[in-house]
Amino acid sequence: MDVLPYILVTAVTVGAMYSLATLGLSLVWGAMGMLNMAHGTMLTLGGYAAYSAVTTLGLPWYFGFVAAILLGALVGAILYYGLVRFMLRNPAFETNIIIATVGIAIALENLVLKIYGGQPLGQPVSLHGTLRLGVVPVQTQNILIVVMSVTIMVLVAWTLKTSRVGRAIRATAQNREAAQLMGVPIRKVYLKVLAISGALAGVSGVLLSSLTQLSPPLGNDPMLKAFIMCVVAGLGNLPGSVLAAFVLALVEACTQFYLGARWGFPVLLILVILALIWRPYGVFGRTQVTRL
Amino acid sequence: MLSGVARDILIAFLFLAVFATLPFVLDGRYYTGQIVTIFFYAVVASQWNLVFGVAGIFSLAQMALFAFGAYATAMLGFYLDWSVWAAMPLAGLTTVLVSILIGLACLRLTGAYVALLTLSIAQVVYFLIVTDTDCFVMEGVRCRQFTGGAVGFSQFGDLGTRKAFRGDWLTANYFIVLALLIVSMLFTYVIVKSPMGLAFRALRDNPGYAISRGIGRFKYQLLVFGLSAFFTGIAGGLWASHFRAIGPNLLSLSLMLFVLATMVVGGVGRFWGPLVGAILLVGADEVMREFGEYRTLGLGLILAVFVVAMPQGIVGLLKAGAACLRRRLKETAG
Repeated sequence: MDVLPYILVTAVTVGAMYSLATLGLSLVWGAMGMLNMAHGTMLTLGGYAAYSAVTTLGLPWYFGFVAAILLGALVGAILYYGLVRFMLRNPAFETNIIIATVGIAIALENLVLKIYGGQPLGQPVSLHGTLRLGVVPVQTQNILIVVMSVTIMVLVAWTLKTSRVGRAIRATAQNREAAQLMGVPIRKVYLKVLAISGALAGVSGVLLSSLTQLSPPLGNDPMLKAFIMCVVAGLGNLPGSVLAAFVLALVEACTQFYLGARWGFPVLLILVILALIWRPYGVFGRTQVTRL
Repeated sequence: MLSGVARDILIAFLFLAVFATLPFVLDGRYYTGQIVTIFFYAVVASQWNLVFGVAGIFSLAQMALFAFGAYATAMLGFYLDWSVWAAMPLAGLTTVLVSILIGLACLRLTGAYVALLTLSIAQVVYFLIVTDTDCFVMEGVRCRQFTGGAVGFSQFGDLGTRKAFRGDWLTANYFIVLALLIVSMLFTYVIVKSPMGLAFRALRDNPGYAISRGIGRFKYQLLVFGLSAFFTGIAGGLWASHFRAIGPNLLSLSLMLFVLATMVVGGVGRFWGPLVGAILLVGADEVMREFGEYRTLGLGLILAVFVVAMPQGIVGLLKAGAACLRRRLKETAG
């Protein structure tokens, strides 16, 4: 039996999910220079929000996504009002925000554990059945994941490119001071960026948990992988990180198939470290000229 | 007014006097045991502080180094029947090598990039140990993985204090760990006050200026990675020998956060920060034990609140308070 098509299907599905996660991370890093370590927990929260909306409230399955998007955006906004707002003037923002968001992440994860318990739950927001693409049977859920991810990515790219908010976000990412002098309300931009990235995290959480299961540490591992994908692409580079997500997902799928599941992440990390020794600011990253 | 060094010596003697009498005053082994864990956290945090606080490199691999020291000691004892006393120095030295290797891989980068890579390395090692299922040796019907797997190691020997001091073994261990704390803090103090320490701080405060004055960034950052690893590894080995069992939870995110919080609460880059932070956090953990389930939640919130409200930590706050008081006194006197 030829295994290549199966590896490809896995790689495309997983790559689509990773790229959605990296998109949110990259957006926040690019616009604000903030590494959001609570992103993984936002993923988890999105998954649980969908679960509650469908199982407890009995809404149809697609409302799961609505719930995840709303909760994700809300958590992003709370993160801004409760934390980021006070830290922007902090001289060591880059490292301190990492510490603070790690704290928030572990607190939220603990909260999820308290509310839902530690036992894994099945994600009700998933489609059953298979389609045949050529000779390969593909699960409908995988197709849903790819279609949703690509749609959302196009939507985000289009928003960034054409809308007023998108222009403000891009301006802030390029040069914060200049944007501020031109009248861009950068604090509002930060709020919007965090809310958007939260919504993206929420959707990826639902998609991710539909492939595995819901558990409180659900988002941690994918977040770390998404992070190193952003790093290898050059933090803040959106198209680069999407490409890196697909390439690395393919590498991971191959490694897991041929060497065993436990070697996927280590091989990924070694590749990333080698790539970074070759190009310290990421494969697609511009050489940064930092003012000291 | 006391000079900086004289003040530090005074504080050191105060701490020492308290710590030397505590095991004889406290009744019950529980509290003595808790103070021993304070010492362990303070040792690791003081070495981490050297990397993060003094040299300004936000590495998250420190607990992985601690775990490496613990595993090296346990495995030398378990597989080769080494005494832990012989294994610990070797564990310290190999931890230095590992740390330099991690540094070679990560220190070309700066800032958040270093944090992400070091965290990934720590997580991958944790993941590989937990998922290890290949049998290395058989113990009767049980299969033992080379890395100990999800279970870890036990019965690899101890410090010998149980045999020598019988009922007083915990007090003996207490003073052994206290000795390690004293030595490692002296080591930190000497480094911070030496020209090398100046170079570390210069690279932290103004890398551009430091580099243009001829301080090699990569070289010095690699140096601080190596220096800080030795006592971290030994502390790991001593942890293993004191508790007589270790497992992959040494690499868990929650333990890393606890030690990170120790540093942040005490004061990043402050000499007394790690020790003060360790005392406060183990104390707070004791209080939160009453609320059992919410300990981790409380820890996360403490971390976030301190970073937002008190980035200088308790020690920084005390220093600022003392300076303010001195100004007031001067004003009233003059």
